[in-house]
Amino acid sequence: MTLALSINGRIRHVQAGLSDTLLTVLRDQLLLTAAKRGCNQGVCGACTVLIDGRPQRACLSLAANCEGAAITTLEGLQRDAGMARLQKAFTATGAVQCGFCTPGVLVSAHALLSHNADPRTDEIRAGLSGNLCRCSGYRKIAEAVAEAAKEAKP
Amino acid sequence: MSVPGYHRPKSVEDAARLLAETDGARCLSGGATLVAMMNASLAEPKAIVSLAGIPELAGIAELANGGFRIGAMTRHAATAADARLAGTLAVLRDAARQIANPVVRNMGTIGGSIGFADPAADYPPALVAANAEVEIVNAAGRRRVAARDFFVDWYTTACGPGEFVTGVHLPPPRPGAGLYRKLARVSGDFAIASVALSAARDAAGVSVRIAVGGCGPRPIRADAADALLSAKFGDAAAAAAAGEALAAAADPVDDVRASAEYRRLVIPRLVAETVAHARAALEAR
Amino acid sequence: MSATAKAVGAALPRAEVREKVEGRAQYIADLYRPGMLHGAVLGSPHAHARIKSYDIREALAVPGVHAVLTGDDFGDHRMGAFIKDEHAIAKGKVRYVGEPVAAVAAETEAAAKLAARLVSVEYEELPAILSPEAALAPDAAIIHEDVASYFKVFDTGSTANVCSRTSLTEGDAAAWDRCDVIVEGRFATQPQAHVSLEPCGALAEPDATGRVTLWSANQSVFRVQANVSESLGLPMAQLRCLTPRVGAGFGNKMEPHIQPIAVKLALATGRPVKLILTREEDFEIVRARHPFKLRVRTGALKDGTLVAREVEVLLDGGAYADDSPGVLGYSLFMSPGPYRFQYRKASGTLVYTNKLRFGAFRGFGNPQVSFAGEQQIDEIAARLGLDPLAVREKSMLRPGDKWFGGAEVGSNGLEECIARVKAASGWAKRAELEPSAPGRKRAMAAACTAHISGLLATGAIVRMLEDGSIVLNTGAVDIGQGSDTALTQICAEALMVPIERVRLASPDTDGSPYNWGTTASRVTYTTGRAVVAAALEVEKQIKQHASEMLECDAADLELRPGGRVGIVGVPDKAVSFFEVSARAHWARGGPIIGHNSLVFERPSVDPKRAIAVGLPFPQIGAFAFGALVVDIEIDETTGKIEVKRAWSAADVGRAINPLAVEGQLEGAFVQGMGLALNEEMVWDGPRLANPTLMDYKVPTALDSPHEIHSIIVEAPEPDGPFGAKGVGEIGINVVPAAIANAAAIALGKRFNALPLTPERVLRAMLGK
Repeated sequence: MTLALSINGRIRHVQAGLSDTLLTVLRDQLLLTAAKRGCNQGVCGACTVLIDGRPQRACLSLAANCEGAAITTLEGLQRDAGMARLQKAFTATGAVQCGFCTPGVLVSAHALLSHNADPRTDEIRAGLSGNLCRCSGYRKIAEAVAEAAKEAKP
Repeated sequence: MSVPGYHRPKSVEDAARLLAETDGARCLSGGATLVAMMNASLAEPKAIVSLAGIPELAGIAELANGGFRIGAMTRHAATAADARLAGTLAVLRDAARQIANPVVRNMGTIGGSIGFADPAADYPPALVAANAEVEIVNAAGRRRVAARDFFVDWYTTACGPGEFVTGVHLPPPRPGAGLYRKLARVSGDFAIASVALSAARDAAGVSVRIAVGGCGPRPIRADAADALLSAKFGDAAAAAAAGEALAAAADPVDDVRASAEYRRLVIPRLVAETVAHARAALEAR
Repeated sequence: MSATAKAVGAALPRAEVREKVEGRAQYIADLYRPGMLHGAVLGSPHAHARIKSYDIREALAVPGVHAVLTGDDFGDHRMGAFIKDEHAIAKGKVRYVGEPVAAVAAETEAAAKLAARLVSVEYEELPAILSPEAALAPDAAIIHEDVASYFKVFDTGSTANVCSRTSLTEGDAAAWDRCDVIVEGRFATQPQAHVSLEPCGALAEPDATGRVTLWSANQSVFRVQANVSESLGLPMAQLRCLTPRVGAGFGNKMEPHIQPIAVKLALATGRPVKLILTREEDFEIVRARHPFKLRVRTGALKDGTLVAREVEVLLDGGAYADDSPGVLGYSLFMSPGPYRFQYRKASGTLVYTNKLRFGAFRGFGNPQVSFAGEQQIDEIAARLGLDPLAVREKSMLRPGDKWFGGAEVGSNGLEECIARVKAASGWAKRAELEPSAPGRKRAMAAACTAHISGLLATGAIVRMLEDGSIVLNTGAVDIGQGSDTALTQICAEALMVPIERVRLASPDTDGSPYNWGTTASRVTYTTGRAVVAAALEVEKQIKQHASEMLECDAADLELRPGGRVGIVGVPDKAVSFFEVSARAHWARGGPIIGHNSLVFERPSVDPKRAIAVGLPFPQIGAFAFGALVVDIEIDETTGKIEVKRAWSAADVGRAINPLAVEGQLEGAFVQGMGLALNEEMVWDGPRLANPTLMDYKVPTALDSPHEIHSIIVEAPEPDGPFGAKGVGEIGINVVPAAIANAAAIALGKRFNALPLTPERVLRAMLGK
């Protein structure tokens, strides 16, 4: 049965059963594979996307329940100036190792900076506490977010 | 266009009727628990009744008596951010802000969370300390249950078949302190043990309600503990005795987070520490 | 070669970072092939049982199912890195809960999972062996009845449930008599899960002839090829193994997971089959870090000089040998630590049990033996009233000293590592550190370590394209640690071209030279050496052409930055790589290709100095060194330990990419912190009790210290590429030891078991 979902500013028509999550629909049908399946239980954060502007778990969102919501994935933020600053900072600081957590981290960081343009270190860490990274130890990730925030100041 | 089996009623009554009449139906709040279970094949509902489209379940409203009604669909992030939950009600804000992590707090709801009644979750002891009441709907109408009676057993609430939580009622905030101290393995984990405390202060003295989470099938409370702390809020021996009373009332198990014995050992220590912090908060005002 | 470094030593961004920050990187789960089916496995409910029969009729009847396979469909072929004891799927017997017993390929993932659950298997249960002690009991049920007949790469001494035995002894045991102080203790460490963010998976696609192309999450396309070909009885040439982006490994993906099953499903259906494990399956059926039981004794003179060390270990190896014999051998080899001793003895036993196989995990046994050995040095220091780092400095291996057993040590920067962590941490004033709040105890402590970077075989091919640009092919898999970037930097530096002019080919068993794998911290050093040598061959060919083009002696030529070659001292006499390559392609000599192939050849043990029995690695070395200082606080209410600051110094020979080196040290520290403080795989009887991220917790951004100071020390390894050695593992080795040392200073109590949970610490504080 088809569902009409607003994804990255466009209406996309997808097939969904009752138990299909937004994550499965994004990845398997729309081939928007930036959001990853790390645990499918909402813990690891690799599936984090924006729903109505707030970071949420695509793996815990039933596709059927997402009609009417505005969904934004990392793919949809490629022309966003704030995301560009984050991507530049992550690139320069060495905050990306295996990269599997990176899309979810970037979405959470983007949301953090959208609501708090000048976060302290502890606020950055709290804002990212829903994204697990096993490679980096988080230090360079926090540094990159702080760098992106600094770049935004006039 | 929609998905067979998916319902998005616009009223509580429609939702209650759908749940009662539809075979194998589950209600969907934030999805943090139900969808995780579905993903793990631990729940296979034949129908989903989403509560997302019901206006009266959303938001925190001030009541005529100065208290608050938190709609069941209120996200943890909203509860954690609401500055009106001050004084003795701050215990609920403090608990909400420590649930999981900011992303899950955008999704999880108070109704979904307490409906699941995980004894290691953060709301149950906080609601007991805040003297909250849970509002439940069924086919016949609404009823209210005191928080201390709402959590019945492991993952079991006072909700009967076809009933679900529509809101949480809080009494008016009183001047004082409200604290939630959580001990967990890592940030965002469920509690090994937690202490929720509200201390109201007026001319007559201090009135304390204290509850322990993560240490039994329901939030642990003891009349003796509340009485001791209320009578002698400044006294370390009273805090120690209150802690011992709560440890004695606890019924912890061994699980992957910690052993039962450790929980019994740490309860009085957490209680003493939380009481000390509450005293400091009261003295600072 | 150039005197000015432009690529090597530069903090360049990862070569593939752009696709990762744009979300376009393709990991195994992101790959799709036309006509692709989905695979699923059914796991055994029993820890130990004979398989009596299967009934697959209900499974086959599920709509969309194309194949249902069981052990009966697989031949009696076995694989294994050291002991070939493992079938591709359970055959005849199951040996751990969750072991795959059946596999399904279907049109959808849901159909495959449903059908897998419908496969009916009849078992005859056998007694489950759930601890090494139970496995060693005289009448214990035998897990591998045919262990004597399995092919073994070295003399393992396998018998009954003993998988392997190793011992290494050097010196005269009379040294104990000279000791003024001897400390002795028993220690235990816990199983740790890798928790790479990416679960394991594979995609296998057959062609018309039955040759299979296999992508998988892996740490070595060549180990995948070998394991699949051995376990399926296929010639290696029938398999082409490729790698997508890999979402970390830490050892989890070094040996096989479900690749053989995916290939078999592809062959059975004639269609591409993708099989991605769930997180629960990734916990339950892949591999984990060995729990160790240790008995350790260390002796010293009263001035703190270390004299003797004896280590005895017992390893739970789980149901299959996997890399375990290597972990046993390596842990013993590293067990004395980077110190001079007059007498060292290390011995141990690896035992089969009916649990998930334990295998490679960052550190490879070093963290476990260091937990014991580095604490005993602190104990000795405490007994003698000496500074623990001074004790280490007194006896540390110095340049020219050999390793335990007589292995050559190339460069040794340990002294500088210790000096720099002391200076950076304010070590001299550690007793003056105040807790940050009342009700907390604070302490600073240290530990030292070493690790190898040279092991087994590798190769490199460097080709010049028509336009003079370079293609590098090494077969080394980048699992996120940055080897693609480092190897590219090495090649660019060697040929003095901008890094953008060097392309790295993706590992491919068809086209890449053999590379044992991304493990053992070996790629920068071992593969980097091959890259330098291959580039040198290219340089020679370039100079040969240029000498003819410029009419001079090849010896008078120098490479110049930007892809040019000219006559020394004559700036305007030069030709470009483009011109050289054109000549090679169209006129003389043929396209320029340089290649090199090597096996690390320095022996592990000098038989004149040491007696080794059952040592799995006859040739290992290229030692890196490290020192770690931690500053911790203990919450006196709960016993919970928090690491406030850490200083991690590593002698990496030469930091090819400092950002990548720091990333390894910082990430390893936090993973080590998880090992030290709270991670533990827990068994509830025969089954894993916490195979989910809800129940098995790794550190989050809020649990990790803001201050992790990476300190790069460079003592160039004589034959390392630009002097480089490895860094992938050294940062984890002594994290648990250093934290335990700090806890001991804070509380006056030694901790002999990991993890240092709040419970263990609180009980120690209360004397319970």
